[in-house]
Amino acid sequence: MNTLKRWCAVVLLVVSWGTMAVAQQPQQQEPKRQEGFLPVDQLPPTESMPAAPLLITAYAFVMIVLFVYVLSVARRLSVVQQELNRLDASIRQGGRT
Amino acid sequence: MPKWFFPAAIVCGVLFAASPFVIANAPFESDLGLVQKIFYYHMPSAWMFLVAAIVCGVSSVRFLATGNYRHDRTALAAGELIVLFGLLTLVTGPLWARRSWGTFWVWDARTTSSLVSWMIACAYLILRRYGGPGSEKLAAGLALFGMANVPFIYISVNYWRTIHPPTTVVPTLPFSLGFPLWFCVITFLLLFVVLLKLRIRVEEQQARVDALYLALDERS
Repeated sequence: MNTLKRWCAVVLLVVSWGTMAVAQQPQQQEPKRQEGFLPVDQLPPTESMPAAPLLITAYAFVMIVLFVYVLSVARRLSVVQQELNRLDASIRQGGRT
Repeated sequence: MPKWFFPAAIVCGVLFAASPFVIANAPFESDLGLVQKIFYYHMPSAWMFLVAAIVCGVSSVRFLATGNYRHDRTALAAGELIVLFGLLTLVTGPLWARRSWGTFWVWDARTTSSLVSWMIACAYLILRRYGGPGSEKLAAGLALFGMANVPFIYISVNYWRTIHPPTTVVPTLPFSLGFPLWFCVITFLLLFVVLLKLRIRVEEQQARVDALYLALDERS
């Protein structure tokens, strides 16, 4: 019975100590309210990401990909046209190249 | 090439060269600022991506129905343009999102369905390239799946929770923001038509080369 009382006392002690520890934790501070107008250059620094590199990357990517694709199609057309001309010529000559 | 091709290509080149100046003169959007200007290339690319998927799908249906290889060549040309404009959309979109959403990618309905559609187009081209004889009919079936995905991509922003803007954004744009957008849409549409015709021409000439080889084989 004494052992049980001792265990109950220990549990109570631990619970009360934990409750006090939690209660003593600093309360989360409310954000400071702005009083009056504030110039934009006096605002606290926040995470900001420059837009220009993203914009330039996007436009450069579009231009380069389209340019490469147009070149690729033009080259393919040129190759197949040359082959067609060669075959036409060999048919006119009546032989097989 | 048809008579309209070279004038159309020249007009397209002029419009494309003028587009950065038109976009630069557009006002900054109030929330997104400078990065919103990616929109003027991103959205026309996305529209051409969907138009190419429809052209590829419709041409594939016509090829399956008639067996006419002219439709198959159109489908193949459009399939390549799906991959091209899809790539532009899927790269410019995340660059814009990085600034406006704080992340390059979110797995929402529109981005995910667009990626799936792009991968279907890649599968279509791989099948055409390495599928061997007869693969054009199998690829035409695949193109139908790609086309079926188009309405889903378009309306997904209206029916599912997403941070993509809804489809009501474009009709409500003021003139100062709408003019550069429609300028770029016309430019990209003309570019799409010119590239499609050029790519079909490659396939037509290739078909003539194949026919000539067959004629030479029969002769010898």
